[in-house]
Amino acid sequence: MIEYLDVHKAFDVPVLSGVSLTVETRETLSIVGPSGTGKSVLLKTTNGLLVPDLGDVRIDGISVYHSKRDALAEIRRKVGYVFQYAALFDSMSVFENVCTGLSDGEERRARTPETLRKVCDALEDVNLDPALVLHKLPSELSGGMRKRVGLARAIVGRPEILLYDEPVTGLDPVNTAAVSRLILEIRERTHVTSIVVTHDIEQALEISDRVALLTHGKLRFVGTPADFRTSDDPVVRAFADRRVAAAAALQLVERGQPEAENEEEP
Amino acid sequence: MQKLVAKAVRGLFARIGRTAESVFRHAGQMTLLLWGVARATFTGRVALGDVVTQLMSVGVGSIPLVAVTAVLSGVVTSQQGGYQFTSSIPLYVLGSVVTSSVVLELAPVMTAFVLIGRVGARITAELGTMQVSEQIDALYSLGRDPVPVLAAPRIIAGTIATPLLVGLACFIGVFAGLVAARFAVGLGAESFLYGARMYWHSWDLLYSITKGLVFGFVIPLISVHMGFGTRGGAEGVGRATTSAVVLMIITVLVLDATFPPLFLN
Repeated sequence: MIEYLDVHKAFDVPVLSGVSLTVETRETLSIVGPSGTGKSVLLKTTNGLLVPDLGDVRIDGISVYHSKRDALAEIRRKVGYVFQYAALFDSMSVFENVCTGLSDGEERRARTPETLRKVCDALEDVNLDPALVLHKLPSELSGGMRKRVGLARAIVGRPEILLYDEPVTGLDPVNTAAVSRLILEIRERTHVTSIVVTHDIEQALEISDRVALLTHGKLRFVGTPADFRTSDDPVVRAFADRRVAAAAALQLVERGQPEAENEEEP
Repeated sequence: MQKLVAKAVRGLFARIGRTAESVFRHAGQMTLLLWGVARATFTGRVALGDVVTQLMSVGVGSIPLVAVTAVLSGVVTSQQGGYQFTSSIPLYVLGSVVTSSVVLELAPVMTAFVLIGRVGARITAELGTMQVSEQIDALYSLGRDPVPVLAAPRIIAGTIATPLLVGLACFIGVFAGLVAARFAVGLGAESFLYGARMYWHSWDLLYSITKGLVFGFVIPLISVHMGFGTRGGAEGVGRATTSAVVLMIITVLVLDATFPPLFLN
């Protein structure tokens, strides 16, 4: 279980202003919201990549910020992180990149058949052919393939929690659907707890048990996809229905209000 | 008018305050980095393979450029010294001038400048790119500390390789000066070496190598620190690299200026 307890974070201006949220074990929760409202910042506080100014994050009851260095390293091993642009190590091959997701001991035995099998399994899990990509450098892969290698690196160590930061940003519709399907398959197969930060509301509603809407650093809505679709909240409705969002934006433009000031604009 | 002066004074103090804050912040962050590197090194968390890889890059990879710089330093010193000494001072003194100039000053400082351009800028750009493309975050998220993996091998390799490069630059520079003296002013090797021995202190070479040790430590330290602190995409990497090069040059020159009063007087 992941608990966010009154998390505050500011970079010159407040980004998160008291977010409290619980994600149950084996649940998939999507966080949606306009750009710059702190979705990725909240995700990065989960495994200590960013330290909140106030508040705490607990994983299975253990505080991420009040634990010793070894405990934090242990927590991080439980958590797989899929970065927005994959964040693969440029100088390493796909095999070496995926190997870094294994434990230290396993990585040191990188050339053993067992490690090779684990890496190949992870690549096959994300629909990549190991024979084709294993020895390639990240620069030799397409954007979609890089994202899938990033996902393979995150799942190879069999984490209990997976954090996805904008997993479909920059992908074409075919790859977007493929990544969504992968997230669902991984959840079914490994029963992992997942948090997905996304702009793609269709994807969020398709893959999630619950959806959280973050606006201006605060949670505006947390509920099931069905509740999200039927919510009366105009901000939620603007997100749930792109046509409503477009109409609301158009109305504001016609009234002469700049789009940037529109708080309800997705 | 009074308001304008008050505004200008306020602006000046604000600028001084911001600069002081920046200096203290950098100093604090570098101290923490240094502490992390020392702890990683003495607890055996730095992989020998990573250090060897960096030694090849920093040390072996820099040999050709350091050699060229040393040859040119020796040749220019010899030619200009020969031009000034002709028909005024005994020519064998040229041996002493070339040897002292190369060993005490030119070899360590020119080697440091080569390393700033070739190694320091590369380290900042490399780590800065890793920072802005979230590769450093990826290391953290995989439970790995970037200090033993990225920072320590580079700083250890710089500290080991630079004194050796300085020693090599001393030898090559003096030899190049000797050959140039022969062709420029007709000073034979024996006379050159006679002059060189006349004013030679065995401490000089140690002094030069000590400079190399200090420069070899601060260059990767600054470049790693600036790389880790990079923000803001490709433009940020460019800005960080430029700032790192400027900071490394100033630091090397300031340290160079502190050496004579500390060790030669």
